[in-house]
Amino acid sequence: MPLKNAPAKDYGAIGFLVIAAGFLLITPILSTHRVTDFMIFCIFAMSFDLLYGYMGRLSFGHMLFLGTGAYGAGLFIKYINGNPLLAILVGIAVAGLLGMLLGLIIVRTTGACFALINLAFNHIGFFLVLSPLREITRGEDGFGVSASKLGFLNLGSRPIMFGFVLLCLLLVFYFLKRLISSPYGIMIRSIKEDETRVRFLGYNTYLYKWLTFVLAGSIAGLAGALTALNYNYVNPNAMDVNSNVGVVFACLIGGAGNLYGALIGGVTYMIISNFLPIYIHRWEMFLGFSLLIITFRFRKGVWGYFQGVWENIVKKKVIGKPIEGGAADL
Amino acid sequence: MIYTIVYGFSIGAILYFISIGLSLTFGTMRVINFAHTLTYTIGVYALITLVAFLQGYFVLAAILAVIIVIPISYVIERFIIRRLYGESLDYTFIATFAVSLIGVDVIKWIWGVNPYPMKDPIGEYLMFWGLSLPIYRILIVIIAILLFVALNFFFKKTIVGKIVVAALDDKDGVRCLGINVDKYFSIVFILGSALAALGGVLYAPISSIHPYMGLSILLLSFAVVIVGGMGNLKGTFLSAFALGMVMAITARYWSQGAETMVFIVMAIVLIFKPIDI
Repeated sequence: MPLKNAPAKDYGAIGFLVIAAGFLLITPILSTHRVTDFMIFCIFAMSFDLLYGYMGRLSFGHMLFLGTGAYGAGLFIKYINGNPLLAILVGIAVAGLLGMLLGLIIVRTTGACFALINLAFNHIGFFLVLSPLREITRGEDGFGVSASKLGFLNLGSRPIMFGFVLLCLLLVFYFLKRLISSPYGIMIRSIKEDETRVRFLGYNTYLYKWLTFVLAGSIAGLAGALTALNYNYVNPNAMDVNSNVGVVFACLIGGAGNLYGALIGGVTYMIISNFLPIYIHRWEMFLGFSLLIITFRFRKGVWGYFQGVWENIVKKKVIGKPIEGGAADL
Repeated sequence: MIYTIVYGFSIGAILYFISIGLSLTFGTMRVINFAHTLTYTIGVYALITLVAFLQGYFVLAAILAVIIVIPISYVIERFIIRRLYGESLDYTFIATFAVSLIGVDVIKWIWGVNPYPMKDPIGEYLMFWGLSLPIYRILIVIIAILLFVALNFFFKKTIVGKIVVAALDDKDGVRCLGINVDKYFSIVFILGSALAALGGVLYAPISSIHPYMGLSILLLSFAVVIVGGMGNLKGTFLSAFALGMVMAITARYWSQGAETMVFIVMAIVLIFKPIDI
């Protein structure tokens, strides 16, 4: 697969409008609170996509950073200061710091080893929150988070929270989009394709991988801090090891390695996980079977599928005149 | 102190049973088998049902439980793992994870989510020098050592074992000799799954039983495999017992932190010994 510098044409502004309009459109159907939750999950899915889709490192412990962000923000509000914006910054910073520390070790590995080590650290984090730090984190019960009002920015009110999260989502989207089409983004995509060659060219891949890991962790921390503010509540479920499969599923079904894919996947997963358990009792089994189908038959995901269809249509238009070197592509 | 050593060795023995399958599957097939948690858990639940059914013949129930796992692991190998040869590790990981998700849900469907209590089938203590050591734990250690000897014999003296060891080293070389490697791989996979079930069956009476019990033990045995080296049989044996001791000694001073300490050891090993898989 050739690496393109930027998405063929930059429909930047239209993309933003479409995302915002999409979320606004589903709001009347699904209630504001739920859609806010969806958007937070989408931020999380995008941070995972940066790690898995773009750098090709599958993590099964990304919930650790979400949980760290949630606890960072929640504890800051509870013990130090009620300012929600500062709390979000603290959440991001704590998750980022954790990423910096763990990244030093984790980034050395690849493949399934990377996935399992992340999972192991997530396990440790969950355990730490649950019992040794019980005095601070209130263990299994969790604790309430009530942020103070900040002028007109009253995050307790649902429409304002909705707007705020949408803004965060668009900012993250814009940031990641710029990042991925920058030279740095090309570097991490090359690491996915063939790390040895990148190293041959004289680049320090370790540094780039570490940086990406920290970035993905920080963005997941943002999602965690927003979760804490949205629910006004933090408990160890924010760091649950078994929830990791959700974001992997979202990323794969939407199409890994594309931000729109991550958004579609995030919304799809949230709709499935919110409404399906009402009708189907054996919900984990459904998830398992759909993951199997995706790995065997549907690797490109929804977005990749539509992209393929679109490319076919475009190809049919130019059929008739032979493409020079077209055979070489086969 | 002696009790701590016995405890450590028995945990190490269990970890050895489970990690040997993980190590072999990775070494030969390049597949990280998350479904290992599933075979382990199925073994345990089969044991529960059989012990109730046979009314206390623990040994017979244990053997039957291990045998039950064999066809299940064959099905997993035939329909999932075999399609994944040569794929990227991410997909094999996701697919086997999906299998374990389905399996755990089936277990919840059949047996429910509540933990089952189970008591030590021997329940007697060996007394000497004023110490009382549970015989069951000593028995586990003895079984592990016997198994190590048997596996060594299997890999050094039998033709199947030799082919597997050769395939660990160079798969294509073995295939060039006209040997159907896939057949031997499925034998290795089934062997590994049966050993995981054996570990589960032996560990069940001294641990708590619930559908998600496989996850933490898989993570521990994964740490064993990383410390011992992927596909390295002797290394797996040594690191299993070493980490078992780490767990026992930590548990003596800080009972909750035993598992965490294993991961810390693993992290330290990873800092000094980079592995590329």
